[in-house]
Amino acid sequence: MKRIVVDPVNRIEGHLRVEVVVDEATGKVTEALSSGTAWRGIELIVKDRDPRDAWLYTQRICGVCTTVHALGCLRAVEDALGIEIPKNANYIRNIMAATQCLQDHIIHFYHLHALDWVSPLAALKADPAATAALQNTVLETYHLDLKGPRSYDLDAYPKEFPKGSAVYFKAIQDKVRQIVDSGQLGIFAAQWWDHPDYDILPPEVHLMAVAHYLNMLDKQRELVTSHVVFGGKNPHPHYVVGGMPCSISMQDMNAPINSARLAVVENSLGVGVAAAELFYVPDVLAIGAIYAQKGLLDGGGLAGKRVLGFGDYPEDRYTGTTNGDFHKNLLLRSNGVVEGFAGGVDKAVYHELSPEDLSDQEVLTEGVEHSWYSYANAQKEKHPWQGETTPQYTAPKEGDRTHWQQLNEDGKYSWIKTPKWRGQTAEVGPLARYIIVYTKVKKGVIEPTWVEKMMVEQIEAVSKHFKLAAQVWMVSTLGRTVIRALEGQLMAHISQYYFDKLVKNIDAGDTAVANMEKWEPATWPAKARGVGLHEAPRGALSHWVVIRNGKVDNYQAIVPSTWNACPRDGQAGRGAYEQTMLETKVKIAEKPLEILKAIHSFDPCLACATHLYDVTGKPITVVHTDPYLRN
Amino acid sequence: MDQLGTTLRELFEKRNLSRRTFLKTCATLTAILGLAPEMLQDVVAAAERKLLVPVIWLHGHECTGCDETLLRSQTPLASDVLLNMISLEYMDVLAAAAGEPLEEHLQQVMQAYKGRYILAVEGAVPLEADGIYCMVGGKPFVENLRQAAAGAAVILEVGSCAAWGGIQAAKPNPTKSVSVSDVIHGKTIVKIPGCPPIPEVLTGVIMHYTLFGKLPPLDSVGRPKQFYGNRIHDTCYRRPFFDSGMFVEKFDDAGSKAGWCLYKMGCRAPEAYNSCGNMRWWNGLSYPVQSGAPCVACGANNFWDQDPFYERLPGIPVPQTVANADKVGLITAGVLTLGVAAHGAASLIQSKKHAAEEEEKAKEDEK
Repeated sequence: MKRIVVDPVNRIEGHLRVEVVVDEATGKVTEALSSGTAWRGIELIVKDRDPRDAWLYTQRICGVCTTVHALGCLRAVEDALGIEIPKNANYIRNIMAATQCLQDHIIHFYHLHALDWVSPLAALKADPAATAALQNTVLETYHLDLKGPRSYDLDAYPKEFPKGSAVYFKAIQDKVRQIVDSGQLGIFAAQWWDHPDYDILPPEVHLMAVAHYLNMLDKQRELVTSHVVFGGKNPHPHYVVGGMPCSISMQDMNAPINSARLAVVENSLGVGVAAAELFYVPDVLAIGAIYAQKGLLDGGGLAGKRVLGFGDYPEDRYTGTTNGDFHKNLLLRSNGVVEGFAGGVDKAVYHELSPEDLSDQEVLTEGVEHSWYSYANAQKEKHPWQGETTPQYTAPKEGDRTHWQQLNEDGKYSWIKTPKWRGQTAEVGPLARYIIVYTKVKKGVIEPTWVEKMMVEQIEAVSKHFKLAAQVWMVSTLGRTVIRALEGQLMAHISQYYFDKLVKNIDAGDTAVANMEKWEPATWPAKARGVGLHEAPRGALSHWVVIRNGKVDNYQAIVPSTWNACPRDGQAGRGAYEQTMLETKVKIAEKPLEILKAIHSFDPCLACATHLYDVTGKPITVVHTDPYLRN
Repeated sequence: MDQLGTTLRELFEKRNLSRRTFLKTCATLTAILGLAPEMLQDVVAAAERKLLVPVIWLHGHECTGCDETLLRSQTPLASDVLLNMISLEYMDVLAAAAGEPLEEHLQQVMQAYKGRYILAVEGAVPLEADGIYCMVGGKPFVENLRQAAAGAAVILEVGSCAAWGGIQAAKPNPTKSVSVSDVIHGKTIVKIPGCPPIPEVLTGVIMHYTLFGKLPPLDSVGRPKQFYGNRIHDTCYRRPFFDSGMFVEKFDDAGSKAGWCLYKMGCRAPEAYNSCGNMRWWNGLSYPVQSGAPCVACGANNFWDQDPFYERLPGIPVPQTVANADKVGLITAGVLTLGVAAHGAASLIQSKKHAAEEEEKAKEDEK
């Protein structure tokens, strides 16, 4: 048995530490612990401020999914104050959310996750001509020809096509070789490039993926152009309570939005579709097919047991969340809980998560049994509207309070609370959304919208490619990564769909983007509370606000990573990260690439880099896999 | 591993990049650094002569928005910066490696380039309870920061959190977060504030140092003058409306649709020193004010506690008030002139203050 500490985990947002105990003989993980190691206290900072400003503060919870917390907050405040946003504002927010999701997924796969699967060093062994041939085969084989409804198609041809020639791949390979030969590996330095998992893919796949890694490094910025046009900047675009600040006028070139500005957005949405369909989906499916055929499908964890979602993308306007109106016309109805999907969709159980449940003190709660917080009166559970954020730091099991060696899994060990649905933990994220929608459609709970129909068709197309039942490939580390790519394609089409609706609505004479009827605090009730829901790139997000006398009285956010990265709970069980690590096999204890891959498959929103220590706290043997490191 | 002997020119040669590509890159850099076209020869000379500098990037209390802003750089492109222009030796968001090998690499880099690397810090430094609110590798972040800062030639405070403490330092500042320069003393520190900074402001500062081997000219608080020398208000495309007394009175009114001044909606541009007005975001595409949102002065010290954000700034004389576009024609010329005069006086005071700052800085430089 060997205890391995990975702290902080790299290629993620925020600060995360994991500790696992591995049986070196079998590779089995017998204990797993996930700890969020930083706390900034934004809940306390936003208290007593103007609720119209709150989105600016909570937006800074994360600069990667750099718009989702603003949206969660705006929806919470608008729900509390009974503000209905204009149609155009809903369309614009949906375009921004969908493009955020696509861009976030693309950065995640290529820049935060791909290097767990592909290696620039392995790419040097590839034949460029064979890589070009492979590129074409991959495009033909794995192109998912699915379209959303769209009336304006202004693109003459897809401009972002993979450059599939032998000359192109040779140029990329030469460039990588020169970097390697120079000894300046930079961001590619010091990885376990000799790990056997890098031999699973042929060199040509490595070269193709490395080329696309570089392409996408430059391309990703174009995918969120809509944020800069509608919100003025990215990261952290601007919004306003009651709608959007970007007024529309077809008569004035000074207007934030006019025909010329819409053309800029339209163009970038086309880039998004091409990036998803010509790069992202084929790349992930080509890699995925090889892993699936070899049966490398561990790391399913909590996904097969219990997943949760809130649903998103309101078709038109809505008057609130707690009164249920938000849920009445959603295009993506991933609201609900599905249990037991690992046994197949027939045996899976769907539970409704109704709007009334949001206000129910029993349904959604957070516990702090193993979190560095305390609740008044030693209370175990709290509904977010009654939520408390009182830090209570305790020392680790080994080491001292400022120098940890081993955290105390029997005590408190994380700055993350443990959110629960009816007293149980659940996984959230793209995989959860797809499991819920697929189950609801297959069980006839809902008549699918075009979005839901596309999701089911995507799952079935991939099942055919992999020659595996949906629940087999979906509930795994690989499944989480593949589903995210499918969702990228879906989001690209959703963004175009809402662009269409925006243009048609403006054409019909409606240019309103903000509803200012309840802008003045004098129009607000003395006390109000609201909830804002959003399906963020990483999963179900909820913001909870209590407003008293025109000020924020209490604020809590249950973010996707709270659901997934939470510490265990005596009654609720383990969170998704811990459960997934327990179900992941480790080949070489000192090089736990599989653990990193499994954790990265969630696209963690915490923080970055890794230290490995043995149980005594001494650094374990350092294995230099990079020859250039030694000089 | 030693690359201090490598110039940008040599690196291009090693990688079989043509002279033409090299010159093109230099031309782009000249433009992005805000230099006059005739400076191109100096940039070329610098790039041929100067050494590549290793960069170490650390994360404290932050949201990773500043990493994202680095990736959004268009001129130069992120891929060129990361793979060709600097030697990014340590950045845990993008590094392939994890764990001990990467940490070992960091130690080696700090050793090999002692006194010669750039340390870029993203995020504030929490000091409450011995720094336990931000633990990295089982140690308080402040400890890692002190270690890395010791051997740094220059420290960049990337973003408003590193530069001023940022959002976590807003009241009641539960983690007692402070800026990097509140903790590290006796080092050359450059502030690159913004929440986040404009991508090209960040890469522009890095490139100035790598090309010329010295820092760009700084103002009295340590910000590069070329990017933070102007108020957004003075470079704002809506400024003529301010001067004419044409204001947005509420969101989405006729003035909003006509792009009038956002001052009365709480715009902080009159006190915000940044490049949003002249450089803008996405190569000139937009900035918050252009998209109808009042500036929150996200590069300013303590801006988070200057709330509520929709309340107009006190003390800035407003030239004129109009309710909507229809009333513009009703403004009497006399009142308008009076307003402009008052504003002119305010600008004069500002520029005098500026001149005083300059003088003070010059004196310090002489010492």
